[in-house]
Amino acid sequence: MKWITRERPKIDRIACPWLIKNFVDHDAEFIYVPRDQVFQKAKELNAIPYDLPGTEYTHESDNCTFDYIIKKHDVTDAAVLQMATIIRAADTDRFDLAPQASGLWAISAGLSQLYKDDLEQLAIGLKVYDALYAWAKFAQQEKHSWNPVV
Amino acid sequence: MKWITRERPKIDRIACPWLIKRFVDKDAEIIYVPQDEVKTQAMQQNAIPFDVPDVEYTHYGSECTFDYILKKHSVNDLALKVIAKIVRGADTDQHHIAPQASGLWSISAGLSYNYKDDQEQLKQGMILYDALYSWAKYLQHEKHTQSESEKLLLEIHQKFLNAKSGKKIPVWVEELKSMIQDQIDTSLTLKEISKQIDINPSYVSREFSKHFDQPSFGEYVRNLRIEKAKELLRETKNTLTEVAYLTGFSDQSHFTRIFKKHTGENPSVFRKRLGKSNSRTKG
Repeated sequence: MKWITRERPKIDRIACPWLIKNFVDHDAEFIYVPRDQVFQKAKELNAIPYDLPGTEYTHESDNCTFDYIIKKHDVTDAAVLQMATIIRAADTDRFDLAPQASGLWAISAGLSQLYKDDLEQLAIGLKVYDALYAWAKFAQQEKHSWNPVV
Repeated sequence: MKWITRERPKIDRIACPWLIKRFVDKDAEIIYVPQDEVKTQAMQQNAIPFDVPDVEYTHYGSECTFDYILKKHSVNDLALKVIAKIVRGADTDQHHIAPQASGLWSISAGLSYNYKDDQEQLKQGMILYDALYSWAKYLQHEKHTQSESEKLLLEIHQKFLNAKSGKKIPVWVEELKSMIQDQIDTSLTLKEISKQIDINPSYVSREFSKHFDQPSFGEYVRNLRIEKAKELLRETKNTLTEVAYLTGFSDQSHFTRIFKKHTGENPSVFRKRLGKSNSRTKG
């Protein structure tokens, strides 16, 4: 399927494509357009609009679109659920929800500033979320400190 | 030049190569080898060893190799100072020293897991630090929520939630607030002040952002100091040295630097603009 949202993504509009691609629709294609064209283009291209008020896939009370996709598509992977809290915190400016949110926000805001091409930004962003997932799933207990074995 | 360190990098051995390539030696070639080969290979290949014990480019005290490179090559860029703290926090497992450290650690640990080829990981890491730099340089004070009305709605919503849950402010928070206020002219540390209220410093550090409108103890104190300094500059004729002293800064140049970083102008310029002695008459 095609999935469409407004341009210049930061958090949710990069994290959702990652979730969709990995857990909902492996062949998904992502399209970014100016805000006022989302609905019209969605119809023309037969694409699912997301992360925009007035669509099914959007924020619900204090949950973000990433949360909605998890609920709607019954994603139960614990690592993804943990990512959801981090993403919600970074996406809705509630950094107290997860200690990792401030760093994710800084890196995401910086990527958005560096890459003016949304699809290029998406390609890098997918790797960032791959990393966050790998950490949550496999490397979470690991601590890092500088005590090299001599 | 060639730069060499031990294999399987996580934080410092990605952050340092980034710093070297972007600010010290743009053609630097980075080599990763097993730990016990670093020194011999460094000699054979005429490469500079870094981030291993007993070499020049390494950790000193609580500072990591990234800090040393900044100092050694006198790279003066405020954004890099911000990044240095984040790197140090993530690299030495002291996530409390910068709010962004935990996130950087998670993503870096994940990259290291996903990329078993160190050079490939470095390539991804370079992008990460480019992004962090771009944030630190241009966007540090930007919030994500886009429009003012959106922000307002979120605020009201938060207030509503807090009111509903009958949010109680813990006693220690009030206590801490007034103690900080009382001792703002001393060199406050989280450790000492936590001792005074008899609460574990790491607990205070963890809970801090929930109860104070600042991400960390350090930020909170710094803001208070700057606000008090502004007041003194506006309302009194104290010299800058005195103002620095009264607001807990170790010396005037440190005060000037932090003040400028926060407000965008030097204390003397601020005073000239807003101080009493220069009351603008409307004529």
